[in-house]
Amino acid sequence: MLKTIACFKWVIDDADIRIDAGTRKLVLDRAGYKISAYDRNAIEEAVLLQEKHGGTVCAVTVAPSSAKACLKDALSRGPDNACYINDPSFADLAPAQTVSILAAGIKAGIEFDLIICGEGSGDLYTQQVGPALAETLGIPCITYVNKLTYSESDRRITAERKLEDGIEVVSAALPALVTILPDINTPRIPTLKQVLGAAKKPALNVTLDSLGPAGDPCLKTVGIQAAVMDRKKIRFAADAEGIRAAVGALLKEVAIA
Amino acid sequence: MDFNLTEEHKLIRANVREFCEKFVDPIAEQTDAEPKFPMETVKKLAEQDLLGIPYPTEYGGAGSDYLSYIIVIEELSRACATTGFTLEVHSSLASFPLFKFGTEEQKKKYLVPLCKGEMLGAFALTEPGAGTDAGAASTVAVKDGDHYVLNGSKIFISNAPVAGVIIAFALTDKSKGTKGLSAFIVPQGTPGLIIGKHLNKMGIRGSLTSEVLFKDCRVPAENLLGQENQGFKIAMMTLDGGRIGIAAQALGIAQAALDESIHYSKERVQFGKPIAALQAIQWMIANMATEIEASRFLTYKAAWNYDQGLPYSKEAAMAKLFASETAARQTNRAVQVHGGIGFIKGHKVERLYRDAKITEIYEGTSEVMRMVISGSVLR
Ligand SMILES: Cc1cc2nc3c(=O)[nH]c(=O)nc-3n(C[C@H](O)[C@H](O)[C@H](O)COP(=O)(O)OP(=O)(O)OC[C@H]3O[C@@H](n4cnc5c(N)ncnc54)[C@H](O)[C@@H]3O)c2cc1C
Repeated sequence: MLKTIACFKWVIDDADIRIDAGTRKLVLDRAGYKISAYDRNAIEEAVLLQEKHGGTVCAVTVAPSSAKACLKDALSRGPDNACYINDPSFADLAPAQTVSILAAGIKAGIEFDLIICGEGSGDLYTQQVGPALAETLGIPCITYVNKLTYSESDRRITAERKLEDGIEVVSAALPALVTILPDINTPRIPTLKQVLGAAKKPALNVTLDSLGPAGDPCLKTVGIQAAVMDRKKIRFAADAEGIRAAVGALLKEVAIA
Repeated sequence: MDFNLTEEHKLIRANVREFCEKFVDPIAEQTDAEPKFPMETVKKLAEQDLLGIPYPTEYGGAGSDYLSYIIVIEELSRACATTGFTLEVHSSLASFPLFKFGTEEQKKKYLVPLCKGEMLGAFALTEPGAGTDAGAASTVAVKDGDHYVLNGSKIFISNAPVAGVIIAFALTDKSKGTKGLSAFIVPQGTPGLIIGKHLNKMGIRGSLTSEVLFKDCRVPAENLLGQENQGFKIAMMTLDGGRIGIAAQALGIAQAALDESIHYSKERVQFGKPIAALQAIQWMIANMATEIEASRFLTYKAAWNYDQGLPYSKEAAMAKLFASETAARQTNRAVQVHGGIGFIKGHKVERLYRDAKITEIYEGTSEVMRMVISGSVLR
């Protein structure tokens, strides 16, 4: 029986972010939320392992109490149950805080053999939560995973790590934690019955009082401004001469080599 | 009063959008241009439980509500009006009468495979001589022992060539006009059922629209749907619900026209600035957005009435009337915002412009909608 936890974060849908032209501030008042992209891969990978090897999948999130809608989204993707660790103060947590809350929540009552996290979240992409969570729980961590297999006989996982200079294959005894890359799978689109069935699946509500304080952030966001990418709007003619000039300009800027 | 969609409705919309990005958008142009019926998409819709959305799970449906179904048609039509309409004909026109008037046996035999997506459905009411005036039908059904023998011809029948079953209307009592019409379940392959000429259309070109001919077509008496001479009521009730679906189709087309216009007007530069900075364009966009929002409220309200078990005939007519005329106006404006390029094949607004028109015609023309609405409010 393989007991897997898939961690996920509920993030602002980047497609909904507007920029105020004058102040360059992000306008978020009409923005929707979604499960962070790589975390959808994490949930899918956990469900794929379950389809192959049986066991259970629990989707766990640390989120503000306003994020309850994330549960049906996560549960419609296949997990058996969810754990919603929430508090009104859990907006804009620093990675270290998220880790200590997650670890406390998991220790308080979720059994697991394997934890799957996305390599980084769609909003901050610090890549810290996975490795730091493994450290806190005292289990091995494998990052940059783009292929994962589980061997029932010796209860080990084998993972392919996609590194800059090649592929590394490693293996670890369970319990362990992996952080995965999006090429690992293609998350399925939940069927309508899965969406409707999500409400019937159990979701454990864990609040801050049952876990103790989350600690102070060691990092604080004091402001966010959109980067401006002004286009140069240089015109080149479409004839041979113009194309040569365009290629020359790109070479000069080392935009192409 | 609550204008919020439920969490489920929001998820359904997000999932269908993703489905469209993956499977519908990439082939929408080809579906129109070749034209090609999107059979692969239909199969994928079945896998997503989307071919029997508002029908109970015991009949193979998803057990969801009408508003979910409407949202799905809206989103599909935003990507490809042919695809949205194909689902609408299948679920509203073919499945609804079986669900509402079918016997348990008939539901098991036909509604279940329709909802599971094992076959598609069609609805054959219109005839060359009987469009708006359904009572002028000349297709007849004569009882012969334990069979009815159908003779006559139907025209403009959507999905007919790919349908596993056709809900067909024929006169069982010629002297009574609409009061002599009956509905029959005619499975594909029934001897004497002939799928005639395919029609070459202005819009929704991927949809299959054909003549359907009955030549001494013997249908078992058990395939009578509802009671003898109840056909007109069955057809009208079916069309009432269907109209909310056409409103959703129109809404999706109009929304796509707005999306394209916003995108293009921000990119296209004339006189040194994006045309979106011109008030003439801004006003067109403002009108589009406002009329689309109004269409959406009318459409969702009609679906909500349906889900609450409230009367919805007038609401459906209003939604269809307003949303279809909105789609026609907005796609016209969208081409205008695009200028010359909007008139060129391969640009989505050119397709949207052609696709919008039919929503003012089928399942009751705009004139008929005004008759239904005035009939209701002047009562
Ligand atoms: C692409 C396509 C798909 C279709 N799919 C189907 C299908 O699947 N099944 C099916 O049964 N039918 C289908 N139809 C038929 C469609 O529903 C009819 O075309 C429509 O109802 C109008 O009928 P008609 O074409 O005979 O027009 P007519 O009834 O001849 O109408 C012509 C004009 O006269 C107006 N008019 C008619 N009577 C009145 C009146 N009493 N008062 C005021 N104005 C009036 C109409 O509004 C219209 O403007 C389809 C049609 C098309 C084009």
